[in-house]
Amino acid sequence: MVKTAGLNFAYPEEQSFNFPDIDLIPGEHLLILGPSGIGKTTLLHLLSGILPASSGKIVIDTTEITALDRKSLDKFRGANVGLIFQQYHFIKSLNVDENLQLRQHFPKRIKDNERRHRLAERLGLSGQLKKKVTQLSQGQQQRLAIAQGVIHQPKVVFADEPTSNLDDSNCNNVVQLLKDEADISKSSLVIITHDQRVSQHFSNQIVL
Amino acid sequence: MNLIYLAYRNMISKPLNLVLSLLLLVLSVSLVTFILQLSKQLNGQIDKNIDPVDMVVGAKGSPLQLVLSSVLHIDVPTGNIKLDEANSIKRHPFVGSAIPVSYGDNYKGYRILGTELIYFESYGAELKGGRYFEESFEAVVGSSVAKKLGLKIGDVFTSSHGLIATSTDVHEDHPYTVVGLLEPTGTVIDQLLICNLESIWDAHAHVDEGHEGENQEGHGDEEHDHKGHGEEEHDHEVHGDEEHDHEADGHEEQDHKEELEITSLLIKFKSPLGLVQLPRFINENTNMQAALPGFEIQRLMGLLGTGVTTINGIAIAILLVSGFSIFISLLKTIRERRQELALLRTYGLGTQKLLRLVLIEGLLLAFLGFLFGWLLGRLALIGASAYLESGYGYVLQIKGPDPVEFLFLGVTLLIATVAVLLASTSIFKLNISKTLADV
Repeated sequence: MVKTAGLNFAYPEEQSFNFPDIDLIPGEHLLILGPSGIGKTTLLHLLSGILPASSGKIVIDTTEITALDRKSLDKFRGANVGLIFQQYHFIKSLNVDENLQLRQHFPKRIKDNERRHRLAERLGLSGQLKKKVTQLSQGQQQRLAIAQGVIHQPKVVFADEPTSNLDDSNCNNVVQLLKDEADISKSSLVIITHDQRVSQHFSNQIVL
Repeated sequence: MNLIYLAYRNMISKPLNLVLSLLLLVLSVSLVTFILQLSKQLNGQIDKNIDPVDMVVGAKGSPLQLVLSSVLHIDVPTGNIKLDEANSIKRHPFVGSAIPVSYGDNYKGYRILGTELIYFESYGAELKGGRYFEESFEAVVGSSVAKKLGLKIGDVFTSSHGLIATSTDVHEDHPYTVVGLLEPTGTVIDQLLICNLESIWDAHAHVDEGHEGENQEGHGDEEHDHKGHGEEEHDHEVHGDEEHDHEADGHEEQDHKEELEITSLLIKFKSPLGLVQLPRFINENTNMQAALPGFEIQRLMGLLGTGVTTINGIAIAILLVSGFSIFISLLKTIRERRQELALLRTYGLGTQKLLRLVLIEGLLLAFLGFLFGWLLGRLALIGASAYLESGYGYVLQIKGPDPVEFLFLGVTLLIATVAVLLASTSIFKLNISKTLADV
């Protein structure tokens, strides 16, 4: 599902990162563990195609994304990749439900109210759908971010430090939610984190 | 959920910013459309009104005033001319038709015009009901007046002295009877109450006399005098031939009325040579002056045109400033929404789609501004129409969009497009990874 070879990224006149090769089979989940400053977010951005690699090859599903032009890459990413950022990003002028509709609409033009509402129900957001995103609590925002990552049933979901600000019980809940939703969406889940608490949930691990 | 909806939601997400961006645009559009409609409609209406008249002959004074008063009925007359002298012009071989007009009274602010039946013909006015006047104090009523005052055939009204509505100086002893109503013509005739010349002479002679010794408080005292003279005046009119006898009787104060007077003579030339020769002839050889409406109005519009051009210039300047304000506002919005735009990139929207999103927002804003501005312009036109109607009897029509206004909409949208394109250069340089990782 995700396969990399000789992946390298160099920031101009700064450090350069060499990443170990990844080979993830469909339906499998992966945890990438590593301390701060080792290029975890960089790796996640490379894998999701929002940052072009300096060298090396990334294949997602059967598509070599390192070989795509910008336009095709945008399209491919929109359809096949789900992203859950460490910093939540929403469209502030839209309400919760509209944010999810937007993610369904682009780029596959899906309008699946049932899936959206069931997902919101599972994530405990049913009562918040008409609210502005800025009115949500921290926890609700996190769950909305998860919903945003999986709503369009991507091939692979990348999550960047999803548990960093959570206590132990919430940490377990969120990881479980992520795994459950990835399974329901039939997506591979890739979590990148420095949080050792997450490691017990994953058999498949890479340590940077 | 699509780009247009998203653009719309983005646009209204900050209402105060939106109002600020709209304000200048609304101001400029309303100004341009208002001035456009006003000058267009006034020009059209004036052209129609002066069309039947090639030359006006009246008392010496400002030629423009003569045209404004005798043809357009929006100013006071320069004075009177002697009917005899006017008739001598009538006989000139270059003159096709000559219509004497006389006025000085009003009914509720609408002018009462004494003239001959040919006046109706010259404006192509037709009766809607009733008949034309046959005797003194029979009035034919223009369509706007009839509508506004609710006059019907058989109604009786009394005129007041002067050309604006006042409650004083009412000629109660000379009531007019409405005998005919006119179809709307879209000309000044719609605003007039028309009777024969004799009616004006009768009422006018009578009032002038009252005025000589009259001041407001003394009104009651004068009443007897007034009435007595009134009767004599009637005699005077009926036995027109015996004027000299009256003078012999020693009515010195009536000397100025021994000859009949009219306000002016509206002339249509038979030959274009009249245009070349007659005005100079009249101005140099008689006590009267000749004014050419076409020329005078052109001169007036030349003066007004400068004003219109200036206002249009200001409006265009405001439009450019509003384009600039849209540019600044979008620039600010794009900066503030950098992360949202980066997020949309991860959703699979390419650079072009993001550009389209911002373009839709800008154009929506411009269109909304134009729409409000246009409505405000029309609202101003309604206000101006009410003002012009009460002051000058001119009614402005509130029409739908004009082709020129569509052109102006195009210009507005073009300016908005340029503003968007200038503001959105950062979209092309957007670094998704860095923008999304930034806290």
